[in-house]
Amino acid sequence: MTNDASPPNLTQLPPEMLEFALLKTTGALAPRLGRLTLPGRKTILTPGFLGNTSRGAVPHISQDNFRNASINGVYVALEDYIEKHPETTPPVFQIDAPDSLRRFIALPTDTLLVLGARRQPPIPSPVANTNSEIGLLTSYGFRSISSEYYAAAVRKLQPDIVVGLADIPFGQETVGLKRKDKMSDRTEVWTRDIIAKRNGIEKGEPRYSIFAPILPIDQDLQSWYLEHLLDDMVDDISGVAIYDAYLLDDLPEALYHLPRLSLHIPAGPHELLRQISLGMDLFTIPFISNATDAGIALDFKFPAPQKLDSATSSSRQSLGVDMWLASHAESATPLTSGCTCYACTKHHTAYIQHLLSAKEMLGWVLIQLHNHTILDSFFSGVRASIENGTFEQDVAAFEAFYEPSLPEKTGQGPRVRGYQHSGSEHKHMAKKNPKAFRNFEKEGVLQAMHGQQPNAKPEMRDVIDDEALVGLVGLENVEQGEEAEKLKIEDAKS
Amino acid sequence: MVPVSMPSALTFELLGKCSVTKARAATLHLPHGPVPLPIFMPVATQASLKGLTPDQLEDAGCRLCLNNTYHLGLKPGQATLDAIGGAHKFQSWPHNILTDSGGFQMVSLLKLAKVTEEGVKFLSPHDGTPMLLTPEHSISLQNSIGSDIIMQLDDVIATTSPDLARMREAMERSVRWLDRCIKAHKYPERQNLFCIIQGGLDLDLRKECTIEMVARDTPGIAIGGLSGGEAKDAYCTVVDTCTELLPEKKPRYVMGVGYPEDLVVSVALGADMFDCVWPTRTARFGNAITARGVLNIRNAGYSTEFTPIEEGCQCVCCRSQEDGGLGITRAYIYHVASKETAGAHLLTIHNVHYQLNLMKRVREAIIEDRYPAFLKEFFSKLYDDKSKYPGWAVNALKGVGVDLLSD
Repeated sequence: MTNDASPPNLTQLPPEMLEFALLKTTGALAPRLGRLTLPGRKTILTPGFLGNTSRGAVPHISQDNFRNASINGVYVALEDYIEKHPETTPPVFQIDAPDSLRRFIALPTDTLLVLGARRQPPIPSPVANTNSEIGLLTSYGFRSISSEYYAAAVRKLQPDIVVGLADIPFGQETVGLKRKDKMSDRTEVWTRDIIAKRNGIEKGEPRYSIFAPILPIDQDLQSWYLEHLLDDMVDDISGVAIYDAYLLDDLPEALYHLPRLSLHIPAGPHELLRQISLGMDLFTIPFISNATDAGIALDFKFPAPQKLDSATSSSRQSLGVDMWLASHAESATPLTSGCTCYACTKHHTAYIQHLLSAKEMLGWVLIQLHNHTILDSFFSGVRASIENGTFEQDVAAFEAFYEPSLPEKTGQGPRVRGYQHSGSEHKHMAKKNPKAFRNFEKEGVLQAMHGQQPNAKPEMRDVIDDEALVGLVGLENVEQGEEAEKLKIEDAKS
Repeated sequence: MVPVSMPSALTFELLGKCSVTKARAATLHLPHGPVPLPIFMPVATQASLKGLTPDQLEDAGCRLCLNNTYHLGLKPGQATLDAIGGAHKFQSWPHNILTDSGGFQMVSLLKLAKVTEEGVKFLSPHDGTPMLLTPEHSISLQNSIGSDIIMQLDDVIATTSPDLARMREAMERSVRWLDRCIKAHKYPERQNLFCIIQGGLDLDLRKECTIEMVARDTPGIAIGGLSGGEAKDAYCTVVDTCTELLPEKKPRYVMGVGYPEDLVVSVALGADMFDCVWPTRTARFGNAITARGVLNIRNAGYSTEFTPIEEGCQCVCCRSQEDGGLGITRAYIYHVASKETAGAHLLTIHNVHYQLNLMKRVREAIIEDRYPAFLKEFFSKLYDDKSKYPGWAVNALKGVGVDLLSD
């Protein structure tokens, strides 16, 4: 990183100031190099990625192992912490100590902590957003929270960066024009709200940086919001959170200096590269954990290795190795030759294959560590390539070298919870584990909840009340009866 | 009838004996390094300790863990173990491994197993083909595994079985099978074969078996067939009876024992080594072992307890961040228990550490000859009132000179 823009005089900045230095950029829709720094936290070079946590941990990585993983920042979703809101105050808000969220999840002090409302990817909530509230999915069912609640939560939890609330009807195939107008209006109100609340925090108290959401709708439909963002909010935000990378050319130039967090879920490395080529900086990458759960050890490098025989261009390399395959059973080699991750330096393919087929949890731990290292090296390669000015050719070579998508999953993954699986995966799951019986009453409740005849069946409301008494409130909305499964004791075998 | 004395790949270094009870402290020098006795051995059934990496297990203080021959024989199988070069290499564990013979799993997992003089017949859980596990095959598998301590194949039947004739047959057959195991054992100079005393709850059978087994002069001796639902009083009597007849200079292993109170009482009765899946299994159900008993952290009451799993515990989870630990709280365990695998990993670390640390404190107490006081303190912490002390523990300890109920 040579062409470092001269940094502003650091002594004049308040200590919590998040700084983003653009180290190299070649135009509007072009890859760029940056450096995100916050005093006390590890520097994040961009393009780069955040660890995508579930309930405070990168899945399968316990906090002690996290210290061996090369992850400099994490994304945390508020909906993982407020399952009993509003009936009871979520425990995490009852911590009477600074850095409460970081402390609670035992995140190292030098790891950047980014908080958003929804998990990545968010599971569509049947609780529609309103002018004042957005719908969430917690492990106890669907909830909604107000913008005020969000601001108060953020102040209490003290993340380094918060992604502002965005009104996005997730899971809705088509969104009408009127609804899009509303998206823009509400998002603007909520963004103003969090800025005002943050600016109201007294001097000396810890403050957080705000990333303003950029909606996945055409520029003209959110032009009002964007104009206001530029007119009177731009100095108060430290970055943007972008829900549709392909609308990056709509991004106003006055926002170019800000870091861009992609909330546009990439399906695989090819799509990551496309987003990077449009100038995206920071990612949460759900496909890492998805591959891990499927027992797939990612196996790609950027730039791609030289092709050995250019004649047989038809056979492209797989992006990952299915560790379930019995053919690995006697292989004493690392998952990826030359990989420096914990799994590859300490263990070999045969052991990991064994762990999967024996359904030992350690298998997923090791693959997860490996997969994160693969992505870490991938981003190092991407940054070097941008630095060298060879990114475009390198992407072309990558596409020619590797298959376009990740391999299909063949083996069974670990048990998936209701709050964990995405919509598309969900359909898959439904086929895999057909439900033995369906709860007639529950479905009755669901219909009532959809608001067809809110008052027609008072006895239905009584059903809900009864459930509330035994702490099952909210369960009626959970898909697939996943919550009943949650109550079961796990893994009764030795 | 007694075969020639067999070579041993261990040294038993006795460090101290309790002047009141039969407890002993020792260092057992094994091919992969010394281990302190008394010891609790966590069970890594399928060459992995329930989600923990070998480094995490090592950090918890473990230097000797178990693998199950039956499981490893099925998966990854002998061919793979031979190709990789044994279980240490297979799971990247630089310390000691003990493997059981597979006999216990035959009986506990395969209800339809049939025991004949030749061996144990069972149907493969993979494809249903009939299989036979003989003493020779069990030893051959354990030779391939390369474990530091290997166990003879024994004829295990439930201690609660009322059939005395069958009990005698099993005991005598176990002795015959030991002879076959000794003969089949290819590497006595680097793997220590332990015999297993059988005989159910019948003290005469146990005595007879002990004498026969001791005569075979294996490097170590196990007391088997217990921990199968028998009354605790009967369990203690059997252990006490057997250790009475055992040579002082050999390690004594009581199989399948792991509750903290069972451990401290069994040590007082003269036993040195223990294993059990309970601490790691119960961790996956959200249970934390503490000096004041087992806490089910899935109970909603813990959701706002922002204190370590156990105050003062030195495991990496409980130690504060200032102290180089993680500062994990009960509230966080509640937050992830049975929702994220990492939650199970954290509690597993804590529970393994608890067990190992308990045995470390036991050992120190024996060396400093204050084990009776240790026992009293242990029970006074575990139960808030003497009236709640389990009768079997009170009786067993009284038998070795410690009156828990006196002040």
